[in-house]
Amino acid sequence: MNIGRIQAIFVKDYKEFTRNYAVSTMVLLPLVLAFLYNKMGITGVETYFLPINLGFTAVTTFVQCCLIAEEKEKNTLRGLMLSPATLGDILIGKGLLVFIVSAVTIALTIFLSGYEPANLLLLSIGLIVSIIFYLGLGTLCGLFTKSIVEASVFILPVMVVFSFGPLALTIAEQYPILKIAEWLPSAQIVELAYKLEGLYTLMDVTVPILVIIAWSIAAWILTAMIYKKRMVD
Amino acid sequence: MTSVIEVQHLKKSFQSENALEDVSFTIEKGEIFGFLGPSGSGKTTTIKILTAQLEETGGSAYVLGKPAKEMKKSSNRNRFGILTDNSGLYTRLSIEENLLLYSKLYSLPTSAVKEALDFVNLYSERKKKVSQLSKGMIQRVTLARSIMHKPELLFLDEPTSALDPVNTTHIYNGLRKLNEAGTTIFLTTHDMSEAESLCDRIAFLHNGRIKAIGTPQELKKRFSNDTITVELKDGSSHYIENRTHEANKLYEWMKNEQIEKIYTNEPTLGDIFMQLTGSDLI
Repeated sequence: MNIGRIQAIFVKDYKEFTRNYAVSTMVLLPLVLAFLYNKMGITGVETYFLPINLGFTAVTTFVQCCLIAEEKEKNTLRGLMLSPATLGDILIGKGLLVFIVSAVTIALTIFLSGYEPANLLLLSIGLIVSIIFYLGLGTLCGLFTKSIVEASVFILPVMVVFSFGPLALTIAEQYPILKIAEWLPSAQIVELAYKLEGLYTLMDVTVPILVIIAWSIAAWILTAMIYKKRMVD
Repeated sequence: MTSVIEVQHLKKSFQSENALEDVSFTIEKGEIFGFLGPSGSGKTTTIKILTAQLEETGGSAYVLGKPAKEMKKSSNRNRFGILTDNSGLYTRLSIEENLLLYSKLYSLPTSAVKEALDFVNLYSERKKKVSQLSKGMIQRVTLARSIMHKPELLFLDEPTSALDPVNTTHIYNGLRKLNEAGTTIFLTTHDMSEAESLCDRIAFLHNGRIKAIGTPQELKKRFSNDTITVELKDGSSHYIENRTHEANKLYEWMKNEQIEKIYTNEPTLGDIFMQLTGSDLI
């Protein structure tokens, strides 16, 4: 890996992102939702995590997916692939901007919703691992699609499943199959936040973080495989 | 001489369609090699195989002494440059910002950007956004990007197809200088004058097969019908064979000061292609 190349891709993405209002304004979505919930006086861990989980999908996954899809649409991704930049340089360089934007957005979302986590350090670990997972998911979706228009359609069911998956648990009594949703990263981060509000054991906090790490590893392995396939026509 | 590209019995099929049937050629270090053929003849497919963007169905391809597949490796990618018609640029960025990115990817000093912009005659336009550029200017920026790291081997797919005559001449001069400095150039085109003016050797590709290969002079000689045309002052034109038995005719016309013009009927590269394939190059 080469820091200079990663930095060059990051700077390029920053310039493109700040000049692409259709994509960059997506960061407002979770912020507005968090602000409104706060003003309406709606509280509770599940409520706080609605805008947070929306931030993961609408900012991290959606923006990353659009950035990759646009590179494919304009054939610039092939240009990067034909340069001396390695798989690591390109994937890290292309993920770094969205990682930073997501981290800032999630922090602001927490602030605007009025959520005060009982253990900010442990929750932050869970949130960072979540961003890494959603970033992998966005890259993967971007690699699967050929244009921004296609990406915006392709991403919708992914956003619904991963943002609102935990809501499925409320009707899991009637439809037991929906219990599978408790293993989604979005449900696991809520689970972690819940546990942190009361008395918890080491296992209570380790399991959700490990589940999200497992999702992240799976997403990035798949991303690397698809990326290598995309290097060849 | 060392072979920079060595292709033997290369085949490429897309489902039931054969893009390349049996292609063999060798390019030596320092050559400018022209690959001529109409659209769909397999020129771009060959470049894609040689730059590891496509895998061959059969045969073998070696680039810079290594199997073409190894051009995927990061360490080999700074040894070649490539310009294709779909080489993308970042449209929200300026010309200079696009080239700065690539100078960093190739670990080059910033001065390489100016040098590349001078090569394509675009230094004064460097602050313009790519979205505001004409097709010809985009092609020049892409060319600048492909040569800025001074590669050992340069693949150019129709490099001047969208350029005006002034910039075409400027690019030709630049490519000759680059070649003199040691860059081997693999050029695809369907522009005969481009091939004739730039290439040391050319190959005619048609329906995925090489029909002829050689220097432009060799090919013209090989396909020459050895005739001359004599135009007389009375306006008549005579097509005569370059043989002893026609010498008397010529002698008579010269003795009577009847000759207006006299020239050999050397075939153009386009004529040769037509003769070989029965079709035009476009």
